[in-house]
Amino acid sequence: MTSLVLTLTETLRYRGAIGQWAWVLHRISGIGVVLFVTLHIIDTSWAVFYPDLYVKAIAVYQTPLFTIGEFILVACVVYHAINGVRIGILDNNPRWWRYQQRAAWIVLAITAVILVPVFILMFGHVVNFYNDPERQILPLAFVIESQLPFAVGIVLAFVAGILVSGIHGVIAPASAQPAGGRPHGSRLERFWWSYMRLSGLLIVPLVFGHLAMMHVIQGVFDITARDYVTVGTTLVNQSGTAVEFVANRWNLLIGGVAVWRLYDFALLALVVIHGFNGLRYVLTDYTAQNALLRRGMMYTCVLGAVVLLVVGSLALIGTIDQTAIEMAQEAMAKLHP
Amino acid sequence: MEVTFRIRRYNPEIPGKDKPYWQEFTLKDVEPTDRVLEMLHRIKWEQDGTLAFRRSCAHGICGSDAMRINGRNRLACKVLVKELGARIQVEPILGLPVLKDLIVDMEPFFAHYRQVMPYFVNNSPLPADGRERLQSPEDREKFDDTTKCILCACCTTSCPSFWANGSYVGPAAIVQAHRFIFDSRDQAWQDRLDILAEPNGVWRCRTIFNCTPACPRDIEVTRAIGEVKLAIRGGKRDGIIQVSQIETH
Repeated sequence: MTSLVLTLTETLRYRGAIGQWAWVLHRISGIGVVLFVTLHIIDTSWAVFYPDLYVKAIAVYQTPLFTIGEFILVACVVYHAINGVRIGILDNNPRWWRYQQRAAWIVLAITAVILVPVFILMFGHVVNFYNDPERQILPLAFVIESQLPFAVGIVLAFVAGILVSGIHGVIAPASAQPAGGRPHGSRLERFWWSYMRLSGLLIVPLVFGHLAMMHVIQGVFDITARDYVTVGTTLVNQSGTAVEFVANRWNLLIGGVAVWRLYDFALLALVVIHGFNGLRYVLTDYTAQNALLRRGMMYTCVLGAVVLLVVGSLALIGTIDQTAIEMAQEAMAKLHP
Repeated sequence: MEVTFRIRRYNPEIPGKDKPYWQEFTLKDVEPTDRVLEMLHRIKWEQDGTLAFRRSCAHGICGSDAMRINGRNRLACKVLVKELGARIQVEPILGLPVLKDLIVDMEPFFAHYRQVMPYFVNNSPLPADGRERLQSPEDREKFDDTTKCILCACCTTSCPSFWANGSYVGPAAIVQAHRFIFDSRDQAWQDRLDILAEPNGVWRCRTIFNCTPACPRDIEVTRAIGEVKLAIRGGKRDGIIQVSQIETH
């Protein structure tokens, strides 16, 4: 903790060039995206497991607090993606070191150029929604209450990680390290270094496609729009429920292949592993001096990634039938009486 | 001109001064071309003899007087007053234990330096003529830049990864390792790559680039670290020409 506080205050005090701020932004935007991805995977899985809860989750997404969050999220994703590409390119070409600082400025410029039209289009959805006299907005207290289970879950994940770390410490004390042995280098860290750069490149087109469909072409508000054609399909959302929206996409078969399920699975697997390994980098950087905490952070990240991969994959192979859509309709009627 | 120095002081032996604090000194008749080190001398000699800082050659080659000056790591003997203005803030470099005022304990830094085997290793017999192990100018060029390091710690103590985690080997040690890893005559390069591939080796570098502008010797630190990372990923150093090949030229 002292290590984190020291790094934060001294980063503010040190007159580093843009590279330092690019690093700060990369970390903050990465943590922001991981946090949202955690909520998003869990509540999207509800479309399969608990249709009524999914309806509530999407209604929460349509409140002002989450609309502000959506703009921040999109900015985080775009900056993190473009800056990640810069890191990947320059890491593979150290001889271009001279262009590092300039490249960091170019990343900011590209991010801005992308965000201006994206924000205008996204804002259009917001204006449309608030112009609709029949719009229904959940109260703030309800929204905050709905996020409490996530907050509790995240805290529990950290507690569990540290507990497992404690047990690990008892079973295999630190003396298990080879004494005086010649280092062989960490193959695992080498793998992760390459993975982060390669997966990042693969994620960029997938996530930009996902953002375009869910936030730009159609907005979060259109998920529950009755008689709208669901984005990426030719099917109409007849019930105007979020569950039917998901069903339309996931049940679409092209040549016998559930393309959106495959797309979402690729996104799920790549993003969760990239995100939680990134989170591990951040968390272990500031807990390196304390074996219990450092291992704990590692276990927390592994736990988070495994839980999300399992929950997400189960949802992606699950079925959404007519009963689920009916349940969603009932839940919607109850939510906005 | 008149210049105000704001200096971070600390003296563990004197009650009241055993917590870091700022002290200001004003100097008159300062020339814009004066170096910060000379001004520290003037403060010590004219105003406060207890001010402690390290310096040796005073000409930018011994690497003793690395300090954080106006927010950036530099050598006090290489930076001129006119580059900084009338208010100059001086504090010890960060990430190493402060012993007194501007003096830090360099031992953890040198421990990382020793860790990377910063010496030439070649156990093969001498060439037939018993003289030099030859190297092409192109091969010499590969590590020319990293031979310039003077171990002042400006780079390592500008690195947020090092501030957060003193176990990280740090930019300076990687630069020193680079000097031998990419020397075609050296035989321990694989060992050095293995040492630097440990979790607290090159992987803790997050390409923040504070190190490169901090280097008073203009070493392309970021590039050196990048080349070491690629060598670790590829498990080899590229473009090595064997001594035997050179002799046939």
